Amino acid sequence: MQRLGDFRLPPFFNYPPYFTLQPVRETREKQVQLWKDLILEYCRSQKIHTISLEEDFPLFSNPKIERSLSHEAKEVFLAALVSEGRAEWMDKGHKRCLILWLRIQDWANLIINFVKDNGLEVMTIEEIRSGIDTRGTELEGIERSVLMRALRQLEQKGKAAIFKGTSADDEGVKFSV
Amino acid sequence: MRRRPGIAGLQNAAATRDQFRLVGENVAKVRTDVMKEQLATFRSQLEEFARKHKSDIRKNPIFRQQFHEMCAKVGVDPLASNKGVWAELLGIGDFYYELGVQIVDICIATRSHNGGLIDLLNLRKLLCQKRKATLESLSEDDCLRAISKLKVLGSGFEVISVGRRKLVRSVPTELNKDHSGILGLAQAEGYVTVEQVEKEFSWSTGRAIDALETLLKEGLAMIDDGHRDGKRRYWFPCVTVSSDTAGGEAK
Repeated sequence: MQRLGDFRLPPFFNYPPYFTLQPVRETREKQVQLWKDLILEYCRSQKIHTISLEEDFPLFSNPKIERSLSHEAKEVFLAALVSEGRAEWMDKGHKRCLILWLRIQDWANLIINFVKDNGLEVMTIEEIRSGIDTRGTELEGIERSVLMRALRQLEQKGKAAIFKGTSADDEGVKFSV
Repeated sequence: MRRRPGIAGLQNAAATRDQFRLVGENVAKVRTDVMKEQLATFRSQLEEFARKHKSDIRKNPIFRQQFHEMCAKVGVDPLASNKGVWAELLGIGDFYYELGVQIVDICIATRSHNGGLIDLLNLRKLLCQKRKATLESLSEDDCLRAISKLKVLGSGFEVISVGRRKLVRSVPTELNKDHSGILGLAQAEGYVTVEQVEKEFSWSTGRAIDALETLLKEGLAMIDDGHRDGKRRYWFPCVTVSSDTAGGEAK
């Protein structure tokens, strides 16, 4: 099985036609489904939050079979993720895409459960993103904007309160579970 | 027979013919009776055999095939009815029934990848994965028998030969000679170009493209425009025999 780093690539990745946008509807649907799943799984495993269409993304080409996705193909697959709510375009030109391998709702749940399990009450934003407590968990390295959105969701539900410190680094959150 | 003139002679001839006919029928009847008796004996011996070797028949595909051939010789079809003596004896009906259901599952699961045509060897490999069994424990013959029972479902399950391989077709798509020819050609590398097809069969470009586009529309082919030579390739998932069946997610 081929790997990209320590990530196991699925069999379809080695089949050249999957790198060309298929014209036949049923075949195209299958193709889009496979690529959508692959993008989400890969980003989740590598903790990649954004994909830029203007930079090389290792998942979009397979040197072993000498095939790469065209710009159009990449757009189609990412757009499919966007319409499912698993990704968001970060710019009007559709050049950068935020990948929500967990939805904001899922992140919110993850955070609340983590906080409950560890008996934590107050944390700074930076601690959540890169502190000792979250090391090795999915929260480690979470994209700032995604984290803030999840926290705001929790705030709306009355489960958290975001407060500012003396500088941006001190921004923190108090949980009430 | 001495011919006697007149009506009496005619009546005699008719009577003689009748007698011969009766004798003839008798002889035939005797032969049939003897045959029936022989068959009945053979059948009960076969049943005895089946009882004794039940576990071998279940475990060993070569033995199983030979058993089927024996049955066929005496006109016994152990799969004819799920409720028959045979099914009870061997539970063999269940074996093929179960296999048939799994084959249908796999064909449906892979249809969007291969268009409803799957190489028999690939099917066997996927079956073995599903059943957590070795390739040796499930023979080609087993699959063919299960599929022949599936034909009764009328949904187009059929085994066709293309080139040097057997493909299992699970959709009603009919392949004409042009299409089969292309599939056979594709077996070499898994794909063909329009040029290759034209050259191989001495067709016009129009004819080649027509056939290829039909196969594409039927979901049997996928296009590939990514080769550096810029030529479009038509790939046929059904002719690729691989250890990892690309896109096959039959679980």
